[in-house]
Amino acid sequence: MAGSALKRLMAEYKQLTLNPPEGIIAGPVDEENFFEWEALITGPDETYFEGGVFPASLTFPPDYPLSPPKMKFTCDIFHPNIYNDGKVCISILHAPGDDPMGYESSAERWSPVQSVEKILLSVVSMLAEPNDESAANVDAAKTWRDNRPKFAEIAERTVKQSLGLL
Amino acid sequence: MPVVLLERLPLPSLQTYSSFSVLLLGISLLYSHKLITEPLQLDANGTVIEDVGNITKNRTFGDEGYYSDMMEIMTQELMCIWTLINMAYCCLILIGKGIQRLAFGELRVSEQQHIKDKFWNFVFYKFIFIFGVLNVQDMTEVVYWSAWFSILGFLHLLAQLCKDRFEYLSFSPSTAQWTHVRLLSLLFVIQFTCSCLMLVCVFLGMHLGINTFCFMGAEVVLLMLKTMFVISRYIIHLYDIHLNTVWENRAIYVYYIELIFELGALAIDFAHHLHMLIWGNIFLSMASLVICMQLRYLFHGFQRRIKRHKNYLKVVKTMDSKFPVASADDIQTSGDDCAICWEKMETARKLPCSHLFHTACLRSWLEQDVSCPTCRTNLDDPREQRPLPAGPGGDVDEENVQNVPENQIRNHFFHFDGSRYVSWLPSFSVEVTHNMLGQQGAGALEAPQTSQLDEMGRQVQGVFPDMPLNLILEDLRHSHSVEQTIENILEERVTIPTTLSRTIASTSQATITTAHPLHDNRLSLAPSIAQAVTSSTERKTDNNNSELTVTSESADIASGVTISDTSSDVTDGGGCVTTGGRFSKSSTERETILRNRRNQLVANARRKYLNKHTDIEQPGSSIETQNSEHLEQFPAQRNT
Repeated sequence: MAGSALKRLMAEYKQLTLNPPEGIIAGPVDEENFFEWEALITGPDETYFEGGVFPASLTFPPDYPLSPPKMKFTCDIFHPNIYNDGKVCISILHAPGDDPMGYESSAERWSPVQSVEKILLSVVSMLAEPNDESAANVDAAKTWRDNRPKFAEIAERTVKQSLGLL
Repeated sequence: MPVVLLERLPLPSLQTYSSFSVLLLGISLLYSHKLITEPLQLDANGTVIEDVGNITKNRTFGDEGYYSDMMEIMTQELMCIWTLINMAYCCLILIGKGIQRLAFGELRVSEQQHIKDKFWNFVFYKFIFIFGVLNVQDMTEVVYWSAWFSILGFLHLLAQLCKDRFEYLSFSPSTAQWTHVRLLSLLFVIQFTCSCLMLVCVFLGMHLGINTFCFMGAEVVLLMLKTMFVISRYIIHLYDIHLNTVWENRAIYVYYIELIFELGALAIDFAHHLHMLIWGNIFLSMASLVICMQLRYLFHGFQRRIKRHKNYLKVVKTMDSKFPVASADDIQTSGDDCAICWEKMETARKLPCSHLFHTACLRSWLEQDVSCPTCRTNLDDPREQRPLPAGPGGDVDEENVQNVPENQIRNHFFHFDGSRYVSWLPSFSVEVTHNMLGQQGAGALEAPQTSQLDEMGRQVQGVFPDMPLNLILEDLRHSHSVEQTIENILEERVTIPTTLSRTIASTSQATITTAHPLHDNRLSLAPSIAQAVTSSTERKTDNNNSELTVTSESADIASGVTISDTSSDVTDGGGCVTTGGRFSKSSTERETILRNRRNQLVANARRKYLNKHTDIEQPGSSIETQNSEHLEQFPAQRNT
């Protein structure tokens, strides 16, 4: 299986390098293992995470693209859809079968036509607009709904931290 | 548990062990030497003389018959025999170590773990076999069986290592030819040794009966199958890598090879264990219990495999009957690559929703889901509700099964535990809140049906063709109305994510076109200094300097991001490596480029952030910085 996955990953890497979406960089840091990528995602403008650069790791299964990769932020980030350990919880990363939150329609789920770029773009829009309906970090979801200024403050700190300014 | 204990045992290092073994061997050699040359001394010790009764002559070193006597003593004296056995194991370990050094180099952690597990597993089952099933009483027999299984176990571990290493290598696009050669030749050596062992089995079997032959041979056959499997996968993999075009039938070959070898191995293992159970004739013992458990496990494996194969056949049948092979015209008009593997399509299958895919790609997807990968149209015929996996049941790839339970546990955690245990476990209150959130989300805001949402999405996309569908759908999920989403887009509440400022955008454009990206970057930063630098050599060193600054800075910025040995690498490529926009053929260069791009992104973001904030707090300070003489004084660095 790994052979076709490798080719596909190589094609995606090439595309992401030649034609990178703004503020996003992704690729295998150590090419000895092409199934472990690291991505940098810039917080979108006009949002609480504006300007921050957040590192994340992407782990691809051997049967990629049939199964989705796993994505995990490697920095601290306080966000309703990111678990405390950094794992990202968005529907595009869920295989059609599993439904951890119980109410995602399969239309938003993983399918082999998705790609790293689409995942990362979804993560960017997730940073812009947290979805507190399917919260992975309940604290963050609560803060996001009830105490926006506090959320903004925490996010600001996260941004500074991610830039090494704290 | 025993494994944990065993791991904690203070095992001596290989060096200590081998020197100890050599010492022991030396002592026993000396002992037998003494026995031969000075038999008189032994008169005092009656037992020894009995043991080596026939040696009474006083021989000197180099005498005729000295070596044969020596051999005789070494193989008859109990202590000497043990020393020899110990020495044999020591040699085996040393050989193993040597092969590991030669063929694998440093072992990875997961490989070590695998080997360890495999080893103890093997020891455990063979122990059960020798003492539980065969119930061997005679020491010599135990030694023979142990020797046999030691050799087999050794080969098993090597084969396991090869398998792990092959799987790891197949994850990497650029492996030296030499590595493949070494690994493959090791595999062939294992295969050859297995054949030799098989001959030994046949030979011994003729003397000792069919049962012994079966017991000895089963493990050899299993090993052979395993090695053959790895070899054939390896060859397919190498062939695939060197093939530039798409090899469409590859998946079929891989699938059937996998099927045959897996079923073969399971069947033989099953028969072997059943044979043990019947032959052992002891149904009420620990050993039979262990064997029964193993039988059950193997049977389940067999069942699962067959089930998966049935599913596979069903998918193939469905594809043949329902999804016709696309005509050349279809492929021409679509003009796209296969959306699953991103490769060009020579032949393809056409789905009812007129999306095209490679046959093999489509099949492997349909094995786990019955919707079109592109548009999610359900391909399942509603009339015949096939039990095709709507979810990852037992039918999906092992990889899937592996990652599913984790998610399900998570699911548990959030959905059931909270509500169920909260009345008497107040510590779960966090989950309760979440649960309420979930219910609220599901109840109050009933999410529109998939098809409905898709329909709405398409309507909106008709108005804004440039808008990515996923963004539209995202917004529709919140708004639940086409009008609302259109309004959102018009008012730019939904935008195509633009994440970086124009400054950086222009920088990255410059990066693509020029060979000295950081120099350009610096141009925009500090024009006065850049103008001063004119000669190309100076430019190059400057470029190096600035890159070095950036990297050393960002090493601490991007905490958690591994940036290994940045300074030296960057200096090497400083003059010629562009920081983005180029996709090199060499993997090391690609790594360097990626690293540089990352560093640059972080540095830019940092600068931008600081600029923005210093502009607000103390206007003018950033201009001061720009005019400062030294390159190192990026505004970013000054503030760290």
